[in-house]
Amino acid sequence: MNQNRILQVDRLTKSYGKGAHQTEALQGISFDVLEGEFLGIMGASGSGKTTLLNCIATMIKPSSGKILLKDTDISSLKGSALADYRGRKIGYLFQEFELLDNMTAQENIALPLSLQGISLEQAKEDIWQIAERFDITDVLNKFPSQMSGGQKQRTAAARAFISNPGLILADEPTGALDSKNSKILMDMLTSMNEEEHKTIMMVTHDPNAASYCSRILFIQDGRLFHELRRNQREETAEAFYERIVTVIAQLGGGSANVL
Amino acid sequence: MFFKQIWRNAKRHRKDNGLFFGSLIIAIVAFYTLLSLKEQDVMRYLATVESVAVAKLFKLIPFVYIVSLFFVFFLVYFACRYQTDSRRKEFGMYLMLGMKYSRLFIMLFCETLLNSLISLLTGIPFALFLTEGISLTTAKLVGLGMIGHRISFSPEALLYTVCGFVLVQLLSVFIICMGLPRTEPALLMADDFAKESKGTFPENALFYFFAGAFFLLAAYATGMTLLRTFGFPAFLAVFVFGILGTFFLYKGLGHVIGIRIKRKSRRKAGLAVFTARQLQENVLCQHKALAVSSLLLLLSLACISFGIGTAAGSHETRTTDLSVKGTDAEIQSFLSDAEVSSMVEASYPVYLSYSHTSRDFEPVKNALAKLPQSDLRDNMMENITGAGEYVISESSYNNLLASLGKKPISLNPDQMALFSSEPVADFTNIMNAALEQDIRIEVNGSEYSLLPRLYEDTIVADRMISLYAALIVPDEVFEEIADSSEPFCYNIHLSKRMTEEKGLLLALSDMGEMLSARGLEYDSYLGGIGRNLFYTVASSYLTLYLGILFLLIANTVIGLKYLIWQRQNKHRYLTLIMLGADVKTLCLSTKSQIQTFFNLVLSIAVINGVFAILSMFGSFLRLPSGASFGLVALMAAAASLLFILTEFAYIHVVKRAACREIMELKLS
Repeated sequence: MNQNRILQVDRLTKSYGKGAHQTEALQGISFDVLEGEFLGIMGASGSGKTTLLNCIATMIKPSSGKILLKDTDISSLKGSALADYRGRKIGYLFQEFELLDNMTAQENIALPLSLQGISLEQAKEDIWQIAERFDITDVLNKFPSQMSGGQKQRTAAARAFISNPGLILADEPTGALDSKNSKILMDMLTSMNEEEHKTIMMVTHDPNAASYCSRILFIQDGRLFHELRRNQREETAEAFYERIVTVIAQLGGGSANVL
Repeated sequence: MFFKQIWRNAKRHRKDNGLFFGSLIIAIVAFYTLLSLKEQDVMRYLATVESVAVAKLFKLIPFVYIVSLFFVFFLVYFACRYQTDSRRKEFGMYLMLGMKYSRLFIMLFCETLLNSLISLLTGIPFALFLTEGISLTTAKLVGLGMIGHRISFSPEALLYTVCGFVLVQLLSVFIICMGLPRTEPALLMADDFAKESKGTFPENALFYFFAGAFFLLAAYATGMTLLRTFGFPAFLAVFVFGILGTFFLYKGLGHVIGIRIKRKSRRKAGLAVFTARQLQENVLCQHKALAVSSLLLLLSLACISFGIGTAAGSHETRTTDLSVKGTDAEIQSFLSDAEVSSMVEASYPVYLSYSHTSRDFEPVKNALAKLPQSDLRDNMMENITGAGEYVISESSYNNLLASLGKKPISLNPDQMALFSSEPVADFTNIMNAALEQDIRIEVNGSEYSLLPRLYEDTIVADRMISLYAALIVPDEVFEEIADSSEPFCYNIHLSKRMTEEKGLLLALSDMGEMLSARGLEYDSYLGGIGRNLFYTVASSYLTLYLGILFLLIANTVIGLKYLIWQRQNKHRYLTLIMLGADVKTLCLSTKSQIQTFFNLVLSIAVINGVFAILSMFGSFLRLPSGASFGLVALMAAAASLLFILTEFAYIHVVKRAACREIMELKLS
């Protein structure tokens, strides 16, 4: 089991403010992510799920606890090691795509590789392969303003996968998409997970998107509240969706997520 | 509480926007310096000898003041926009907390007012020091040290500087604030408000680029070849071609950068593509600002060169101190006075007269015809045939040369020498080349050979008496052909002891008073150079002032335009950090963008400037034959150094500000 573990989160806390005004966003969360897993993180607004993702992505520093990616404590990373972690070890998929709008799709996809010293010319084949996978070969020379929302998010996904990172972090990746494009994206992420054995950790509000995951952690008030595992062989996506909705109801009702 | 907040905000903005405040202070110094021109020692002196012209100049100053305010308005407007853009979130928050728009306006106005006053309080003392320095230095340089220095503080200049600056600042804030009530608080509070980049080029971008290059080449060619001959129409053509060319070139430049990215940047790793795309977008979005800045820099270069050219062109050689009109008896009686004789080193009659006798200057024309063709040579060939109507006696000219410590002319009975007071180096060179051809001319039926060089030492004290080409003739010939046998005037040279003791001006004034007391008419050396000095000081002062102002405004506009744009697109840097770029790499990229951004403006401005300066010196501005090449080269080198240092300083400050913003970026 230990050799399959890619990420270990150990007693992670994060607090904002000081003294009487202190808010505990994370209160000692511990869990593991296994290699090849498609993990979902769900919870009400303010439960701490985005804080958790941001801590793993090194966008914020935790107050205490450890995050180990392949046994490396990421809180100790600085300078080029930190940049290397962000550029090679993880891939990040943003809710608002965050494509550089003055660069073409292929230039955007090539960015993580360029930062590692690989030119666009050298990365041409890899870009083409990943673009085929995400069905964006026809927009490779287009600027983001010339693409649809779905194409933008798939380009962003291709950028997250291009450097072959060990872990993909996705923050509400379907949040800015319509249902059709959400389904296309989730199908593609699932295929990357199942066929390429990519490990994905996704924060989402959407039970539909979450039903594509193999395991879901529910967080409430900065603590792990519940865990759901999908029986991949026997359980249909619809049945898993039903179970997710039930847990959300137990968490305080769907309305808590909407507020 | 409210005023404390205003004080704090104003302080923060001064700290954050050092570039703008520095520029503003320099602009204040330049403004005050121009407006206090009246109080400068040189101008006070010139007002006594050239009162009409000085009055005309002072009438021109309000116009220059208004034009300057117009340009300074852009500097202030961009700086205010940069400041308010960076505070949109803060404004949105104030509004959401219940602050009224009117209160927000009052807060911004008060902050602006406070910062204006602080810039003025910093700038004015500098300006006072500078004007005092300029006043003393100019007076010393032109030899007016003895007129008595007076503190050049001008309350009127101070008032106009303060009013102008406060007005421009408040107007800028007013225009910027007008848009605030129409903006939703949510939009103000949004982190990023940059428009999404379209990444596309204007239609026919390549056509614009080549059309721009073509128009610029046409402007260069017109300036270099036609400006001298056709004057205003050619100037208008250069003006239109130059402006169109610059605007078109920048409009199409984005596309050329795009082509370069496809060819070169794709083979490079790191942030090469990002850096090039940023630059391309910047050029595409801001091509008008780039063109305006480049033209302002060109104006600055042209103004500074014109100022230097005029200042260097004012080089004067003092020949005689006073030229007195009067009969021989009157002059001798005056000179015999004991007090006068102690002050005079030398005096002699100047025999200069009109001559009606026949003369044939065709040989001079023919000699000129053998020289390489040029506009000036053709012009000289046209004018020379009618020359020689004035003759100067050899002894008079030798007296002048002797008083200057120069070797006298020795004319044989069949020799003459050519004299000219045309103060242009090219004229002298061409005429000397012609005279070397052993020219023989016919005057009054006899043939004379001309000495193989041109004589140029001014024969009388008043520089405004100019002779295109006169003949220095042996005394016997003078008596024979001159219309008048009476001396034209008497030249008086003051004793060295006297001028060293009292200073030239006071010595001349004393002698002038004595001459006036006797009822004698005279022209003095200072009276003559007064006019030249006036035009020199007035034009060089104004052009240098405008040159510095344009330099400041162009640089501030480029710098602030870049910084505003970077701030609007800071999310890109955040994304890059998330993709694994470190801050150092991002800073290198932004530094490279800034350097190239400035280079794009500077390179076109410098190329345009070189052609503008060459056209200018080839047409309406010429260095006089007396001007020292070394001095002109030194001044040009000093000005170039100042220009380069200014650019370095601006680029450095903008790079530092841009990197500081990147280092302050937080991922969440």
